[in-house]
Amino acid sequence: MSLYPSYARPRSLQQAVDLLSGLQGGVVVIAGGQEILPSVNYGVLMPDVYVDIGGIEELIGISSVGDELVMGALTVHRDIQGHADVQRLAPLLAQSVSAMGGGWQVHNRGTIGGNIVAMHPLYDIAPSLLALQADIELIDAAGTRRLSFADLLADSSHGLGTKAILTRVFVTASPQSSWGYYKLKNTSGAYGSANAAAVLETEGEILTAIRVVIGAAADQLTLVSDALAGLTGAAYDAAAGAEIERICAQAIGTPLSDHQGDGTWRRAMAGVVARRAVEAALLPATGPDS
Amino acid sequence: MEDLLEQSALVQWRIDGELHELEVVPGASLLDVLREQVGKTGTHMGCRTGHCGACTVMIDGAVAKSCIAMAATLPRATITTIEGLTAADGTMHPIQQAFWDAAGLQCGFCAPGILLSTAELLQTNPAPNDAEIDAALAGTLCRCTGYQSIRRAVGEACVRMYPDAAGE
Amino acid sequence: MADSPDGDLKYVGRSIRTKEGRAPLIGKAKYTSDYAFAGQLHACIVRSPHAAARINRVDLSAATRVAGVRLAMHGADVAALTDPIPDYLEPALFGGKAAAHRCLAIDEVWCYGQPVAVVVAEDMRTARYAAARVQVDYTPLEAVVDAEAALAVGARTIVPGWDDNLLMHVPFMHGDTVAAFESADQVVSTEVKIHRFSTQPMETRCYNAVWEHNTESITLYGTSQNPHPLRLVLAQTLRMPENKIRIIASTIGGAFGLKMHGHPEEGLICLLAKLTGQPVKWLESREECLLIGAREQKHYIEMAVNNDGTVLGLRDRFYANTGAPSACPGWGMAFLTGLTMPGPYKVRDIDVQMHAVSTNKPSWNAARGYGKESTAIALELAMDNVARQLGVSPVTVRLKNFIGKDEFPYDSPTGLLYDSGDYAGAVEKTLQAIDYDDCLEEQASARESGRYIGIGVAFELTPEGGAIPGSMVVGYDTSSVRVGPDGTVRLLTGVTSPGTGNATGIAQIVADELGVDIDAIEVLQGDTNASPYGFGNYSGRSTIVGGGSAALAAQDVRLMIDKVAAALLEVERSSLVLQRGVYTSTADSSASVTFAEVCYAAYTRAYDVALCIDPPLEATRTFRPPSIRHTPDANGNINPYPSYSNAAYATVCEVDVQTGQVKLLKFAVTHDCGKVINPILVEGQACGAIGFGIGGALTEDVRYDASGRQLTRSFMDYVMPRMSDMPPIAVEHHDMPNPGNYLGLKGAGEAGVGGSAAAVVNAVNNALQPLGVVMNELPLTAPRVWAAIQQASVAPTPGGDQ
Repeated sequence: MSLYPSYARPRSLQQAVDLLSGLQGGVVVIAGGQEILPSVNYGVLMPDVYVDIGGIEELIGISSVGDELVMGALTVHRDIQGHADVQRLAPLLAQSVSAMGGGWQVHNRGTIGGNIVAMHPLYDIAPSLLALQADIELIDAAGTRRLSFADLLADSSHGLGTKAILTRVFVTASPQSSWGYYKLKNTSGAYGSANAAAVLETEGEILTAIRVVIGAAADQLTLVSDALAGLTGAAYDAAAGAEIERICAQAIGTPLSDHQGDGTWRRAMAGVVARRAVEAALLPATGPDS
Repeated sequence: MEDLLEQSALVQWRIDGELHELEVVPGASLLDVLREQVGKTGTHMGCRTGHCGACTVMIDGAVAKSCIAMAATLPRATITTIEGLTAADGTMHPIQQAFWDAAGLQCGFCAPGILLSTAELLQTNPAPNDAEIDAALAGTLCRCTGYQSIRRAVGEACVRMYPDAAGE
Repeated sequence: MADSPDGDLKYVGRSIRTKEGRAPLIGKAKYTSDYAFAGQLHACIVRSPHAAARINRVDLSAATRVAGVRLAMHGADVAALTDPIPDYLEPALFGGKAAAHRCLAIDEVWCYGQPVAVVVAEDMRTARYAAARVQVDYTPLEAVVDAEAALAVGARTIVPGWDDNLLMHVPFMHGDTVAAFESADQVVSTEVKIHRFSTQPMETRCYNAVWEHNTESITLYGTSQNPHPLRLVLAQTLRMPENKIRIIASTIGGAFGLKMHGHPEEGLICLLAKLTGQPVKWLESREECLLIGAREQKHYIEMAVNNDGTVLGLRDRFYANTGAPSACPGWGMAFLTGLTMPGPYKVRDIDVQMHAVSTNKPSWNAARGYGKESTAIALELAMDNVARQLGVSPVTVRLKNFIGKDEFPYDSPTGLLYDSGDYAGAVEKTLQAIDYDDCLEEQASARESGRYIGIGVAFELTPEGGAIPGSMVVGYDTSSVRVGPDGTVRLLTGVTSPGTGNATGIAQIVADELGVDIDAIEVLQGDTNASPYGFGNYSGRSTIVGGGSAALAAQDVRLMIDKVAAALLEVERSSLVLQRGVYTSTADSSASVTFAEVCYAAYTRAYDVALCIDPPLEATRTFRPPSIRHTPDANGNINPYPSYSNAAYATVCEVDVQTGQVKLLKFAVTHDCGKVINPILVEGQACGAIGFGIGGALTEDVRYDASGRQLTRSFMDYVMPRMSDMPPIAVEHHDMPNPGNYLGLKGAGEAGVGGSAAAVVNAVNNALQPLGVVMNELPLTAPRVWAAIQQASVAPTPGGDQ
């Protein structure tokens, strides 16, 4: 906590990692600032050091290699929304990024890396990444490592601590799958009360795989996959929808209870958004409804 | 590597057409620097949490909330404030004129967000529908108008900027 | 930009926004926080984290040690140099309790967020950093949070020395309610809970006080709706003569009542400037702004009704949770809620018991609607309940009970004198605007496909331009019109603009009265050293009394100019014609002189052609609406309002019964504000107020934990409507001119909050009627609506499925 914080703008990842490894506490890594500045402005956060990674070119940009989509951590939401590679390889991600709040102003500045690192339970990107079985890449003094987004979530320090930097996000497209995203919020300006990303595989009318991730209903993401296995091998119908709703609501351990809604409702809504995301996935002709 | 640490940061900004070189304090928002160091008081503080949009500016042509952009993280940038929409001779931008003529404002405090977001929208979309206008203006709160006159003024601005597109 | 008057084409009635329009759109308007002066210092306030606590000790030493800190003070320091802040509106005038309002708390804090200490530093960051170092030792006390619990026997009294927490109890009674209830076919009971929601203008409050060394006086640049009355309050608080204080209320970024005075920071910042000898600025954070409350009321209503829908009697016992005592006029909203019962309905036998209760929640300030919105919410929800119980249309019940348009002027049972209106006509227009019959068909077919569409109607009576005897809430105001030797006009008025555009409306009136181009008029408001003594902006009064007084002043000046013109042209005054800035005469076709030449002559030829007038071309006039009556009638009642604006609302919503989400599909309003000076400004007022009502009905909510700590601290939690939340609003006018006011003006601005909120709630209840859901507790957030649906589906309520 300092009235006179210091500031560094490393020009390369190596410089940034070296710097972070040498610093003690009170360090904040900043890029778009959308997550950090509100806390700084409210006096909740008073860092001693800002490490600005915004100048590191290696972290910016979207590319694709075959079916794999690669996004630098500093890629802003607006670029993800409209990028042809994302639309082609991970339209679910584009959809969920478009559902984010804050308006164009925030979409133009906020980065995918910042959104992930914030680990805010109400945000939109994480459910899609988990549903898409994304990988992420980290760098610290020990070097670069790639791990699944699920493993990152499972790690209590999110694998990052104050020494590591999230560098890239990878999503591998599965052409035979369909997807849906559904976000529920009280009103346009509200944060999410529950959201769900669904990825399905079908053969004709028959569901062959189903994977749903629910966000904003609990303080951590809820992946529902095995519990839904009983629904595969048949076509989707209203009864299946009701079953998805029941199973997904039940899957929520301790629901959140906050300004976005009480726990009982959040649990129930987890089921509703899951079913609606699945239904959106099954209706590609009319486009996702979110 | 600690020699990278500085007590301030130097930034070079073209603000509303004018070049400024400034030394900014780490942690200071773009909003505070614009208002306090540059005198661009047309950009307003409404919440400091990035919700209201009264502090909106354009950074390199894209709208941003200046209250949650840290000044130091923008070493070089072109910044357009609401004041920069107006021509040097005082002639209003067609969007400003449309909002004036259609009374698309009341107190005017939210105008930076409303006008600059409209500007970004109309740069690429000469005839936005209601949903597109909603999306473009979703980041800005207006408490006076109930948005009805704003929607009308955006429509009027389209007509002024793209007279040929009207009626298509 | 505007055309000059052309023949019969006048400014009044036209949709223009000439004044206060260009500057904000080019980013050049100067709001209070835009002022910065040489040597500018910044203040940061330390606030209580407890709802109720004893202050044992305030240690400022760690703060004063921070480099750049110029001054730090606690309550006792400030109390030694100031007197308590006088009430904007004294509860004692109405038989209520008194409390000493201090700039900083002294021995006890009464609410979360109450100012306890202040730090002044060379920049804002330093001030905030140092403020975080102020150590306050508190002993928390049991917090009294709920209004009814605050009145329970044994409840802790929040103000030492009070015998209970009842700030005020006022009965509003008329006729024989007991007989009415005995003779009625049925009694319909409705409990209505109105939550705490706030006005939250986009510009927060800001005060920048400058100590003027040459005159040893203070200039306060402040977000004030009422600069002159604030000046008196500051004079008393600061123990200074009033003529040593100047207030400049610059461009205001929305006010809605929140910038009426009584706030502790007003006097405090002035004191800090005086003590430091330097300008001191305080800019309210959004978190601080969210502390300012309003509206929270619980109503227990009973209506005595006959089976044909006639309401014979009204009983309402209600409790307003007005928070900690404050010098702001917020508590008066509760009084107005009672006073304006039973609204537009011809119910003569009433027994309304108003309880304004003090609690450890933060204080109220005035909020758009000023209590009348709560009257509308309570009554309109109750009327729908009557309709449901009787199984008749909500429209029918209202039409059955409205005061007829031929019954005005109408003496209300609380003593008000309604000037004019056609309530049934306004409702009919509204139903047409929303295609009511089509909506009913759509609703029926939607129900068959499992969709829940609802139609809600509501009515709202919003008396405007209020005046309370013995207070600085007055019914009149004053304007000066000054025409210079070049024919341009300076208009000064005692009413201020909170950003509504009223300067344009008033200029339109003056342009027509003077016969000049509106661009030749400059309007100045809000500077106590320039404007005539005035009372500012509240109660939808600005155009009624600002416009009315400016019209009178303009008429006086026009007469002077006409006289000089007649003398110059050597014709009879009655033969003059002024068109496009040129005087001609019907008596002499060769006679012609410009308006500007006449004005020049009025100044320069005082000994020949202008002998007929007293220069300069200036007049100051007051408009005092004649229908306000402060002499009590036989029942002891006064009529504090000159005009009774009213409006009818209808909305259509769809409820997603799986989630509880409410989506508004259509909205219509018919507004009677008397003569419409400028349709676009009136429509702007109506739509803005409807935004408040919709937000309040559905999402906006300030919440507390059980210990009285405020949980709602930013716009993340206080969710106001965005553009996509607002349905298109059809605005209709139904003008029934006020016979007593200039041009028949009634006032606009307050109508919209309560009526629209009630229409939304009624629409949701209408949508969910097949499920047996009735909700009379606001706001109707998705979780609440969903929970109500769940509850109803578990235990269907009797008479639910119709």
